Amino acid sequence: MPLPDSSAPLTGVTRRSFLRGTVALSGVAALAAALAPLRRLDDYTTVERFMQKYYKELTPDEMARVLARITSEVEREYGVRPHVRDLKPMDGVEFVYALNLTRCIGCRKCVHACVNENNQSRNPEIQYIRVLRLPHGSLDIEKAEHNYAPESVPEKGYFYMPVQCQQCKNPPCVKVCPVHATWQETDGITVVDYDWCIGCRYCEAACPYWARRFNFAKPSLPKDRLNPEMAYLGNRPRRQGVMEKCHFCIQRTRAGRYPACLEVCPAGARKFGNILDPDSEVAYILRTKRVFIQLKEEMGTSPRFFYYFDV
Amino acid sequence: MESDLPDTRTRWVLRGLFVTFAALAAAFVLDLWRHPVSSAVIPPVDPKFLDTATVRRSYADLVRAKEDLSDFDCYGCHERGKPPVLAFDANHNLVVPEVHSDVVMGHGRHNRNNLCFNCHDENNLEVFQTRDGRELKFAESPQLCGSCHGPTLRDWDAGVHGRTSGYWNRSAGPIDRKQCVNCHNPHSPKFPGRAPAPGPHLLHPVETTAVEPHGH
Repeated sequence: MPLPDSSAPLTGVTRRSFLRGTVALSGVAALAAALAPLRRLDDYTTVERFMQKYYKELTPDEMARVLARITSEVEREYGVRPHVRDLKPMDGVEFVYALNLTRCIGCRKCVHACVNENNQSRNPEIQYIRVLRLPHGSLDIEKAEHNYAPESVPEKGYFYMPVQCQQCKNPPCVKVCPVHATWQETDGITVVDYDWCIGCRYCEAACPYWARRFNFAKPSLPKDRLNPEMAYLGNRPRRQGVMEKCHFCIQRTRAGRYPACLEVCPAGARKFGNILDPDSEVAYILRTKRVFIQLKEEMGTSPRFFYYFDV
Repeated sequence: MESDLPDTRTRWVLRGLFVTFAALAAAFVLDLWRHPVSSAVIPPVDPKFLDTATVRRSYADLVRAKEDLSDFDCYGCHERGKPPVLAFDANHNLVVPEVHSDVVMGHGRHNRNNLCFNCHDENNLEVFQTRDGRELKFAESPQLCGSCHGPTLRDWDAGVHGRTSGYWNRSAGPIDRKQCVNCHNPHSPKFPGRAPAPGPHLLHPVETTAVEPHGH
């Protein structure tokens, strides 16, 4: 091979060939670096998941295949065979939640029962419920404190207000979603299709209640704490880069059961039911109790989550 | 030649650059920058905070679980047809006899609901008596409590006061109702305080915005 320059030194490398080599090498390196995430492609998507259709367009056969895929994925990752269902809203049912501020003692058991039921990430921590502590005589959220840690609750002079997704009748989070990955179902639950979400976080910004959570990292939870009773729009494990939120324990409530946060409440402050049934607990509450607030009523979101007082 | 010295220097500079670029390329491929910081590991929450059991167990629960009911066998010690005599101190407070020292009298803020026979029947200690003269079994405590706490009983009947679990949809399954005494100690009914579950773990410590409670 003739050297480009006969007067070149004996090293065999000229400045020009070195620069060419360097540019080529760094080009290859940069390409490799840019493609590096592909080595973890399975964490993000599979061909099946990538080709999956929009939830509302899935035929029953396709949904059965999707549920089978989720079942095998969860079994591979957690070593537990889950029972994944796609539960549909029931006719004549609209869910409403009522929370008695007189009874809540601020013990935060609802927060952790929710995490346990809905397979949220433990590291980093994702929680749907945030319990606010407020001084008596005010409902000013500016005065709220959620990092309280006394030896014993309730504390004198304070009351507690747990806040979670308010399942608005007029949900701002649904309006801003550019890909319709979140919508309101006929029973009033606003759901997220985790396989359709692109992770833009517009909904998080739009929500006035800070009810939506984003999986910045790959969710991690202990295998022995996985809840195998799952629903597609509910508590099936999420992946990195998608939004999630309270869905009134869709895997329980659409099967007729009470949500996990309600069952664990030691004070009986949480009430849930079908507002279209005049004999339900929530209908009784809205009819007879001092239903004091819908949180941030002035936003016009019309929450299905009501706070009330006894007496 | 004049190029001797620059050639040697060029050679070394080129070698150095080559090593640097090769190292950078290796670092890119190995993705050394992917996890710059590892945040502190949050321990799993204590399972006691996930427990759905009630604070107390009612008489009906004890019967169902076939547990020791000797505490409810009044006439193991008392004599039938001979109502027990109550003792009071100088301030008209009930003096609880030593055998019943587990009973803490604290019903009502004024502490004046301290007469045993407001609820227990002195002529038959194995039943309750209401102020309107009804006789109730130990397992029927909600009716007893409701004979004074009417609005609360009305709420309880509607499923609104107290704990529920099971099914909101009665056609799908049963609802599990708890009795007054599953949560309230009848002799000292104020709901007891407890240690709260851990709060949210923050990535960075923040100054708490503690607000002084309103005057009370």
